[in-house]
Order: sequence, then structure tokens, then C-alpha cells
Amino acid sequence: MNIHQVGRSVIVLAAGGVIYAVFTVVPPVEGLGNLVRIAFFHIPVAWVSVLAFLVSAVAAALYLKTRKMTYDAVSACSAKLGLGFCLLATVSGAVFAKLTWGAYWNWDPRQTTIFILLLIYGAYLALRSTIEEEEKRAVIAAVYALLSFITVPFLVFVIPRMYPSLHPEPVLNGAGHLEMEPVMLVVLAAAVIVCSLIYGELLSQGIAKVNSRQKELKL
Amino acid sequence: MAVPGLRFDQALQAILIKDLRCEFRSRYATGTLVMFALTTLASVSMATAGTGLTPEFAAALLWVVLFFCAMAGLARVFVQEQEIGTLLGLRLYASGQAVFCGKSLFNLLLLLGLAVLVVPLFVVFFNLEIGNWLLFSLTLVLGCIGMAVVATIMAVMVMAAQSKQAIFTVITFPILLPQFLSGVQAVSQVLAGNEPDGLVFMAGYDIAVIAAGLLLFDYLWND
Repeated sequence: MNIHQVGRSVIVLAAGGVIYAVFTVVPPVEGLGNLVRIAFFHIPVAWVSVLAFLVSAVAAALYLKTRKMTYDAVSACSAKLGLGFCLLATVSGAVFAKLTWGAYWNWDPRQTTIFILLLIYGAYLALRSTIEEEEKRAVIAAVYALLSFITVPFLVFVIPRMYPSLHPEPVLNGAGHLEMEPVMLVVLAAAVIVCSLIYGELLSQGIAKVNSRQKELKL
Repeated sequence: MAVPGLRFDQALQAILIKDLRCEFRSRYATGTLVMFALTTLASVSMATAGTGLTPEFAAALLWVVLFFCAMAGLARVFVQEQEIGTLLGLRLYASGQAVFCGKSLFNLLLLLGLAVLVVPLFVVFFNLEIGNWLLFSLTLVLGCIGMAVVATIMAVMVMAAQSKQAIFTVITFPILLPQFLSGVQAVSQVLAGNEPDGLVFMAGYDIAVIAAGLLLFDYLWND
């Protein structure tokens, strides 16, 4: 059993533990009941989708600076994973919205932002798939990742001014819908960490796969 | 790399004049683009004929028409150079920044020309009352600057891609969204007779994409 397998089994065990805690340790919340358990899935995946976006942009900048194909692989893999996590966050959020507020979708600021994040990831990956030359693809995709990263702060400013929001304040709030008890905070933190670890593991696997394929091509 | 003797402003001017002259000769924009604009405008107008439009709705339709006109025409600045094989020449004569600025300016002129055509027709078809023309025009100009600049950067990206036109729209939209949304909001405020409050924001977006373009364009241009 090598170090990777140990790491993987630790992550699987931790994920099992968190899931167990979410269903047993976390108490039902007044007004939301058992639905609050969705948040323990929704918040971590939403966090990871933003993290993946950040990693993708940083890797893009590093690629432009160093021209090492590894960074391009990091950027692409991170974007792919980000798209997946972003979809999970969107769907879980929509289900939660339907069950608590009565509609799957109402262009709430956060729904709009996450939808745009989906669009950006989708456009980035579509752009990559249409360019055949590897070096060119890497450069163009990197510039696109950086450009879309520049526009995100604008979205954060413009969208909340346009639509009223029902979404609770980000993660840690004292007074909103989700009264966070210490137990819940601990479980949530654990869930976020485990989710980030899953992302990290999937990312390193993806990069390793790309690298080995490139080695095969060179041989 | 720039040829010695051809300064930045000279190169910019030369590119702009060359593109205007090509446009004048081929009349691509005046033919295809104007007809495209009229088609979208007519389809939108006919589909909503007889329904009283709220300011928000009218503003959204106006920006949708302008956006798709931009998507139909603005990728051409580089795709055309590629098709007729003049890219290398352009690369030899002018620096990336000069090309970026020249092409952006040309796109901006094209877009403003389209807006000058589309907006009066829009006002006529939809029976709109525009209280403050100055603020209305300022909003449109700020929006067009953002669109032209982003479209220029995206146009040089799609040169290497297959199915250029489709991917051009797909990759431009998410980047333009902040400008698009605040443009819709500002125009609807003007149409409702209020002062738009997002103009500083739109100007800030324009400055940000121009700066990003100047910084990143060389990566796309010199490879």
C-alpha cells in the first residue's frame, strides 16, 4: 500500500464520518427541519467550485509566466472539476430553494453568480476543445481563464444590487436562517475540509493522468 | 515587433485607416451587419407588437439586439486577416498593443455605427420616451466600448479555433455579462425617467478590460 492509497482511504473514511455526523450529530433546525442537512453538502461543494476557479486562474498565470505544460494541465483539470462541483452546488441549491422557498429557480443573486460561473467554466472547456494545437490551446485558455477571473469581482458587485436575495449570508452568519450551533460549525468545517481534500485528490489524479499521457506521446 | 520608425500612434492610425478602407471597399458591415441588425430588430419588434413594454423589458431587448449584432460582426477583424493571409504582415509591422487598440477602435466605430442605426429604429418601433438623451447615449457608448474591446480580444482567440463563430459567442458572453447586466439596468432607469446609477461601474469595467487587454494581448499575438 503506497502513500496515495493511504491518503485515499483516509479521505474515504473521513467522508463517511462526516456523512454519518451530518445525519446523526446535527440536530434538525427550527423552521427548516431536516432540510438543513442539504446545507452540509451544498456549502462545501460551492466552496470547492470557487476554490477550483481560483486554482485554475493561478495555474493559468503561472503557465503564461513559465510555459510549463504541467500548469496548463492543472488549469484544465481544475476547471473540469470546478464545473462538476459547480453543477452539484447549483442542483443542491435549487432543490433546497424548492423545498424551503417554493421555487427551484428565481435568479437569486447567488443563483445568478453560480450560473455565470457555470457559463465561464463551460465556455473555457468548450474553447479548449475547439483548439487542436497544444501550445496554442494552452496560451489561449490561460488568457481566457485570467480574463474571466478579472470580471468576477464586477459580478460580485453588480448582481446583488440588481436582484433581492433570499439566500442566507455566506457560510458563517449569526442571525440569518441558519443559526449555527458549535456542533454544526464543527461538522460543517469538517465537511468543507473533506470536500477540499476530495478535490485535491481528484486534481492530482487528473494531472498525473495528463502527464503520463504526455510522456507516452514523447516516447 | 514594431518596425523602427513606426510609432505606436502611427501604427494604430494605419491599422484603423486600413480597416476602414477595407470596410469601405467590401461594404461587409453596411451590407450584412445592417441587415442582420434589421432582422433581429424586426423579429423582436414583431414578436412583441401590441404589447406595452415596460422599461426593463425594452432595455433588455435593446441590449440583446446590440449584443447579437456585435457577435455577428466583430470577430471579423481578425478572422478576415487570417482568411486572406495578411496576419503575418500585420505582425511584422505593428506591436501587439497597437494592433489591439487599432482593431478595438475599428470595432467600436462599427458598433457605434450600428447603434446609431438601431437605436432610433428601436425608439420608433417600441414607441419609447427617452427623457435624457445625453445619459442614454453615454450608457450606450460605455457599453459599446466594453463590447468592442472584449470582442477584439476574443476574436484573436478564436482564430486558432474551429467553428469560430459559434465559439466566439460562447466565450464572449460570460466575460461581457457584468457590462451587459449593468447596461440593461442603466438603460431601463433612463427609460423610466430616472438617473442611471451604474455608469461609474460601467466605466470601471471598460477600464479593467482595456488594461487586461493591453497586458494579455501580447501573449495571444506573438505566438
